[in-house]
Amino acid sequence: MRHYEIVVMVHPDQSEQVPAMTERYKSFVEADGGKIHRLEDWGRRQLAYPIAKLHKAHYVLMNVECTDKALAELENAFKFNDAVIRKMVIRTEAAVTGQSALFKNPEEENKREYKSRGGDAPVATEEAATEDVAAEETAA
Amino acid sequence: MSRFVRNKRRSCKFSSDYAQPIDYKDVNLLKQYISENAKLQPARVTGTVSYYQRQITNAVKRARFLALLPYTDKHE
Repeated sequence: MRHYEIVVMVHPDQSEQVPAMTERYKSFVEADGGKIHRLEDWGRRQLAYPIAKLHKAHYVLMNVECTDKALAELENAFKFNDAVIRKMVIRTEAAVTGQSALFKNPEEENKREYKSRGGDAPVATEEAATEDVAAEETAA
Repeated sequence: MSRFVRNKRRSCKFSSDYAQPIDYKDVNLLKQYISENAKLQPARVTGTVSYYQRQITNAVKRARFLALLPYTDKHE
């Protein structure tokens, strides 16, 4: 039994299927006496560059301990699942259980975006407010 | 001028107290080691020790494959 880290990118339109898919992959691993040490659903993320004309993908991270056979089964399942647009499997030395950096950081990233937008936002609202006043005046 | 360039050079961030290996999922960290046009920065610019520079290179390449980081600024 070896440790693997698997990242799967799923077509954003097939996002609803993700829980069912992870259940299925879980059963592959566990049927052969393997173990899932970490399972993270990163949700839909913006891609850094378009893949197959898509700009977003649903990411799932799995850290598993399984046999060769189970891994081959998994890879086969990824290959023949049209919803999977890309996958990466890495061998790791040991089980990883802590939260990954990406799972923690999305909030931080969002905050930063919010802040940068915050600089522009007040101006926009002010403009809207003045427009409203103007509209009221014309109405009056 | 030469003095200015020398001041830009930083010492290796990892050598002193960075315990865990560099992770491709830590996008915010890796972003510090790629240039504006998304190319990898040479170790001589960032001051990273070669042991960690190799880890950064690997991590950035993995992150790029998963579209967590761009290959270039000319995508799309």
